Amino acid sequence: MNTANRNYLKKFMLAQSTSILVVLIILFILFAIYSDYRFIRPANIRSLLTFGAEFSLIFLAIGVLMISGEFDLSIGSLLVFSSYIFLKLFQTGLNPFMAFLITLGVGAFLGLLNALITVKGQIPSFVTTLGMMMFWRGFTLLLSGGATESIDFSAHPLFVSSMTGVIGLYFPVQFIWFVVVAVLLGVLLHYHRFGNWIYATGDNREASRAMGINTNHVKIMCFIMVGILCACAATMQLARVSTFTSRAGEGWELRGVAAAVVGGTSLRGGIGNMGGIFLGAMTIATIDNGLVAMRVPYEWSFVVFGLVILFSVLSSMYLEKRRLSG
Amino acid sequence: MVFGMKEEVENRKMNVKSFRSFLAQRSATTLVVFIALVVIFSLFTRNHVFIGQRNITALGKLFPDLGIIALGVGMLMISGEFDLSVASVLPFTSYIFAQFMLGGYAPFWALLVAIGIGGMLGLLNGIIVVKTNMPSFIVTLATLMFWRGVLFVWSRMMPLNIRPFVERGSLFEQAMNGTVAEFFPIQTVWFIIFSVVLGIILHFHRFGNWIFATGDNRDAARAMGINTNLVKIICFIIVGLLCGLSGGLQTVRLGSFAATQGIGFELRAIAACVVGGVSLRGGIGAMGGIVLGALTIPILDNGLILMRVPVFGITAFIGLATILFVLLNSYVERKLM
Amino acid sequence: MSNENNNSDLLVKMTNIHKWFGRVYAVRGVDFQVRQGETVGLLGDNGAGKSTLIKILCGYHQAEKGDIIFEGKKVRINSPREAQKLGIETVYQDQALAPNLSIARNVFMGREPVKGMGMLDKKLMDEESMKALSNLGLRLDSPDLPVITLSGGGRQGVAIARALHFKAKLVILDEPTVALSVKEVGEVLEFIKQLRKEGISVVFISHNIYHAFSIAERFVVMARGKVMREVTKEEVTLDKLNELVIESAIVDID
Repeated sequence: MNTANRNYLKKFMLAQSTSILVVLIILFILFAIYSDYRFIRPANIRSLLTFGAEFSLIFLAIGVLMISGEFDLSIGSLLVFSSYIFLKLFQTGLNPFMAFLITLGVGAFLGLLNALITVKGQIPSFVTTLGMMMFWRGFTLLLSGGATESIDFSAHPLFVSSMTGVIGLYFPVQFIWFVVVAVLLGVLLHYHRFGNWIYATGDNREASRAMGINTNHVKIMCFIMVGILCACAATMQLARVSTFTSRAGEGWELRGVAAAVVGGTSLRGGIGNMGGIFLGAMTIATIDNGLVAMRVPYEWSFVVFGLVILFSVLSSMYLEKRRLSG
Repeated sequence: MVFGMKEEVENRKMNVKSFRSFLAQRSATTLVVFIALVVIFSLFTRNHVFIGQRNITALGKLFPDLGIIALGVGMLMISGEFDLSVASVLPFTSYIFAQFMLGGYAPFWALLVAIGIGGMLGLLNGIIVVKTNMPSFIVTLATLMFWRGVLFVWSRMMPLNIRPFVERGSLFEQAMNGTVAEFFPIQTVWFIIFSVVLGIILHFHRFGNWIFATGDNRDAARAMGINTNLVKIICFIIVGLLCGLSGGLQTVRLGSFAATQGIGFELRAIAACVVGGVSLRGGIGAMGGIVLGALTIPILDNGLILMRVPVFGITAFIGLATILFVLLNSYVERKLM
Repeated sequence: MSNENNNSDLLVKMTNIHKWFGRVYAVRGVDFQVRQGETVGLLGDNGAGKSTLIKILCGYHQAEKGDIIFEGKKVRINSPREAQKLGIETVYQDQALAPNLSIARNVFMGREPVKGMGMLDKKLMDEESMKALSNLGLRLDSPDLPVITLSGGGRQGVAIARALHFKAKLVILDEPTVALSVKEVGEVLEFIKQLRKEGISVVFISHNIYHAFSIAERFVVMARGKVMREVTKEEVTLDKLNELVIESAIVDID
């Protein structure tokens, strides 16, 4: 019975990942046709991989966090604050790699803060992180006065090429980082003991606790992971555009949730896999880029992402029902 | 006698006492915060402008925008659900209101249509949440984005002047933006009316009991034959209707529709309820607290502006205040358990 | 309105009840009956089908096949509401109480007395809930207290008082003693005896034979969705009953 179940679960997950892949391919074709083939020009695909990889990096951790049963709506604000920290550190003349490391530490701290309030205060994480979203955005605007500041990396070519260079004449290095992180997190999630704890925590917290898993610890680690990757994406973005803007990361929180849900992660925790999360993140990046290539006005993106979430919520309900009824 | 044992009685008494003090503590903190804010802003604004008659009147006109919505959101939260979409339903209904007047409808009918559309958007939220059984904050986050997008696309983010359609001094204008007894802003009167009506429903009507039961223990409520889905849907509809009214009030006051109406209300409405002692888990809350909370957040906004705090700072401050209050509530709740 | 059943003191008679969930065959052709004023212990291991059978009786599930005759009339029970209307009250394992609501509001949850336009009749709610509780021998300070301030036994008391107030003819208790301390179990068993004095029929579901033995007059033992044994208290000792339950579970494996 156990193996039968397991096979069934595997089939189910495979079916889900395949369906995301099919959606992704259909999207590619549609965007290609309706953008007068601007969408599939090599330059556009490269910019898709570049932009896409930056925020998709964070979405990988969001997926893992959601498997553990929590949300983070503050990613855009964590990103802009880390970005500001990096800017200030760099302006003091610090080596960019050092500044990068410190920024990662700050990101980890921001994640830790979210986690401690959620876990120790026993507060729904969406409220904690909604509050933090407002706080860090407002705080950054307050510190920076809302100004845009340019930043000059010309003295540090190595830093720039490691953050935003090109590999093999075509592949943006961000995409490579994205794939590397996806593989690492995938191994952690599916082959490491800690991954098992993440699933157990999200699936049945009481049971995991009874089995001696420190579920608070698991959640804290997941939040920290999100914080670190926010700082990482912030630095990459700074290196690429060489400008700090206090609007960086706006609207990412919703895309993050959308990516995870599209990728088949349950909103209740405990269900999801790295393949799905990866494809989900790519789907969101593709939609974002495709809309631009189709020259759709910016306002439409709200409509589209609102619909994407609603549809993925509906489909995940359908899948859950089907799974339960066997 | 079953409860003959002395220690049992003692034990029970202590529980009762701690519960009473919990309730007292809860409403006391809200009141203390409210009074403290008023005192601080009165003392530290230049020339004590905060308690000047002009500012009080302005506040009386302004605060019901959020306040009226918060009343509905509070009831919805007691039933165990959230609505983040208020921040886009409000401007959406405002736009409907303005468009219908532009189309030649009398302001009164235009307002009714706007309120009706608000109710329908609430119904839609309710149906999706109840039927999919998904967390309401995700569903309403999606509808928040969706309606905002539709509004931006439809209105091209251009303001609509409605002054030509609402005759100054007409009954409608008086009812939406007038003063009663030469002093009371009519908006405050609307707020009071709704807090009394909704307060009676929540605390003295059968439906109120169903709201509490649904939020406190949905399975129990269901086992007792309460249609919890219907209770939730009706609460969502109430929020939508109130958004429609609040949108109308705001539009008449401003004299035009603006696509930026209601921005930031998603968290502010929740913040007001949390400050007013509504539990994020549902089942706990009182209309008196919600009213105080609905006053506190706008006062915080207004006072900080008068103290010349930059707008970004206010955003940060409200985010922080929400988290601190949620922590406080949850701490007090756990102390009881 | 068939009245083929000449056994006039039968309160409820379920015949040939079948129920399956997807591939799980939960109840397989069960006959079950309760007489007026009788206390029946429904015994069996987890997954024996007790809870499913009882949920069919209280309207939570509908049987795939089979008849229910209540007070001589054939009935279909489609919802908990309809069961309540017939006079079947259920006290659930998790008590079906809203912890932060007051005792009075819990007793009347979903069936609030109103003065008109749906306004609650609080005075009546307070008086009646206290009366029902004192009938059970449970004296509490105030009907305004939330049930979270009560002990586990007290909470079961509130749930049972609910059944008493609404003049139930049949009270079903689904594992009412699970997760209670020894003292609290004693209290709950007292409440049940009180129900019996009022002439109310009781179905007591438990996998704890000791609790069931001390209270019930007749025992029905289920295993794997079937009724394995039916005995009266006179026919067995506690040890014998224990044996029967274990035996039923084992026999079925063959």
